[in-house]
Amino acid sequence: MGFIGDTIESIRSMQVRQVLAQIISLGMIVTSALIIWKGLIVVTGSESPVVVVLSGSMEPGFKRGDILFLHMSKDPIRTGEIVVFNVDGREIPIVHRVIKVHERQESAEVDILTKGDNNFGDDRLLYAHGQLWLQQHHIMGRAVGFLPYVGWVTIIMTEKPIIKYLLIGALGLLVITSKE
Amino acid sequence: MASDGAAATPAKASPKKANLLDPHSIKHLLDETISDVVKSKGYAEDTRLGNWKLAIGAAVIAIALLAQFYPKKFPQNREFLLGCIALYVVLNVVLLILSYTKEKDAIMFTHPPAGSFNSTGLVISSKLPRFSDMYTITIASADPQSISANKPVHFTKSVTKWFTKEGVLVEGLFWKDVERLIDDYNTERKGK
Repeated sequence: MGFIGDTIESIRSMQVRQVLAQIISLGMIVTSALIIWKGLIVVTGSESPVVVVLSGSMEPGFKRGDILFLHMSKDPIRTGEIVVFNVDGREIPIVHRVIKVHERQESAEVDILTKGDNNFGDDRLLYAHGQLWLQQHHIMGRAVGFLPYVGWVTIIMTEKPIIKYLLIGALGLLVITSKE
Repeated sequence: MASDGAAATPAKASPKKANLLDPHSIKHLLDETISDVVKSKGYAEDTRLGNWKLAIGAAVIAIALLAQFYPKKFPQNREFLLGCIALYVVLNVVLLILSYTKEKDAIMFTHPPAGSFNSTGLVISSKLPRFSDMYTITIASADPQSISANKPVHFTKSVTKWFTKEGVLVEGLFWKDVERLIDDYNTERKGK
């Protein structure tokens, strides 16, 4: 009975406003991460400013687990640039190198063919069924820099969800048990 | 009034205890106890500033969630995102300004005691510098410009005076010190 009394006492002494202030502080920390990401999107002009390399198709330049920084501007796409593009029906963007560019003199339309440096053939197999060229609207950005190895955390969390939930649980416990 | 602090100490089911290796824990416990002492002297807590901070914090969170879940994809939502980001930054700056100008080290604001001629409440501040054991309490008027404002009073003591070796707070001693400070503040007016 003494233990139950102590528990009730400690619950009663907890102030609602303090708990609310703590929840709002935590919320502001989380939302600051969201806003920073949105700021990155606006500054770089790309829907995905940072991407993780998931396959070895661009070795030896980019290896699995590297992080790429993207930027999108109005400059024309040129052969040899490394671009990130979206294909209809595929969820994950692809990072490959431009090997052919066709431009039309009378209009702004552009046809682009890409290839992974470490692949044997071009990317027509990766495009949507029947599609032979990429157009401007498929391009999400071009690579302007990279960090090696940093993306492994993301890959591990994606491939082994149990690790992701363990991490989130541990962080949550940390926050709950820490005092102001 | 009798100066016996033990009489004013409320009966507690269990003694308050702090982790002596954690300065934040010590300061937090002392601040809490000061709030209890001030309330027992008839001052009601003024939560307006705290409410404003909670409201601004909630607004900040709402803006970020709005930016996150706006039902359009980039770049159609570029102007909206810019607006949300700007508003987010502005509100955070406002929160920061509130903390630095209104709150500073304050741990509690109060209303004037009921039935008193005094028209301003108190601001109780405390400071426990890093790596130091000297704890400072300051009591000042909530409105220094008011005609009924008294001069601020403060004292500084080592926290070792109020804690046992096991980290239990000797509330009687602490209550006595804080009550004497409050009496000093109120007595200042009579001396004018």
